[in-house]
Amino acid sequence: MTTEETVPHAPEHPPRLAWAQHAPEVYKAMLRLDTAARRGLEPRLLELVKIRASQLNHCAFCLDMHSKDALAAGESVERIIQLGAWEESQHFYTEKEVAALALTDAVTVLTDGFVPDEVYERAAKHFEEAELTQLIAAITVINAWNRFGVTCRMVPGHYEAGKHQ
Amino acid sequence: MSRTDVLDREVAGALSELSAAAKRGLGDPALAELVVVRASQLNHCAFCLDMHLAIARKHGVSERQLDLLAAWEEAEGVYDERERTALALTEAVTVLTDRQVPDGVYEKAAQHFDDRELAHLIGLVVAINNWNRVMVSRRVAPGEYTP
Repeated sequence: MTTEETVPHAPEHPPRLAWAQHAPEVYKAMLRLDTAARRGLEPRLLELVKIRASQLNHCAFCLDMHSKDALAAGESVERIIQLGAWEESQHFYTEKEVAALALTDAVTVLTDGFVPDEVYERAAKHFEEAELTQLIAAITVINAWNRFGVTCRMVPGHYEAGKHQ
Repeated sequence: MSRTDVLDREVAGALSELSAAAKRGLGDPALAELVVVRASQLNHCAFCLDMHLAIARKHGVSERQLDLLAAWEEAEGVYDERERTALALTEAVTVLTDRQVPDGVYEKAAQHFDDRELAHLIGLVVAINNWNRVMVSRRVAPGEYTP
């Protein structure tokens, strides 16, 4: 038996606020928004975008959910792990995925600057207008879930793949 | 460029409902606009600032409160404690890439807002962050909104 197996993990924290119960109409609108924003996007690309934004926003609950959903959708472990340094591991991804990841970073880290022209234009080169519209919407929606997850300190570890799809 | 051009119709409808549900639940239109304007400042959304400054004035938010909003922490006597805790929470929820939402910020807000109000306040900050991201990404020009 290794030390790792015998030493218990730190205790699980409770959530701060059951926001969906206290604001059911807000939750309903979020579900509707999520469903609308994912239409027309390739599921594996969508999960890459969701994991990347959740990394930037440090949303543990969202990372748990979307890494499990990505694996269930056939994504590889190494592509999920490399997302944390995708700029240095672009050969793990298609040019289209790289363009989507760059746009995800720019739209997520908005307080530091605007969305650079070159990032936007690269995405526009790989995504036709309707798909780009959905991609931007999807990036903003995972940012929205991240904000609920982090602020309300939602607890990771209990999600089962496909539960919210 | 109008909103309908930058979002799919169904997405725009759901996002509008998200904002509306959050505002209804918070039940304080003036405070809602203060929060929305502050988030739009942090996200540098010109369209959203133009639109929500106009709405804020319509709801009776004072010029002084709007003028000093970017430096609200230093503006003693301009915002009451409830407004200050809401603004601190707005900033923490908006600038998520630098740090988590600190316990002190959350707990102070929880002293002034009950769970239902707090859930809607968070929802409102989330919703305007979503609009900010859409409008900045698509570089929607300010000035097209008329209250």
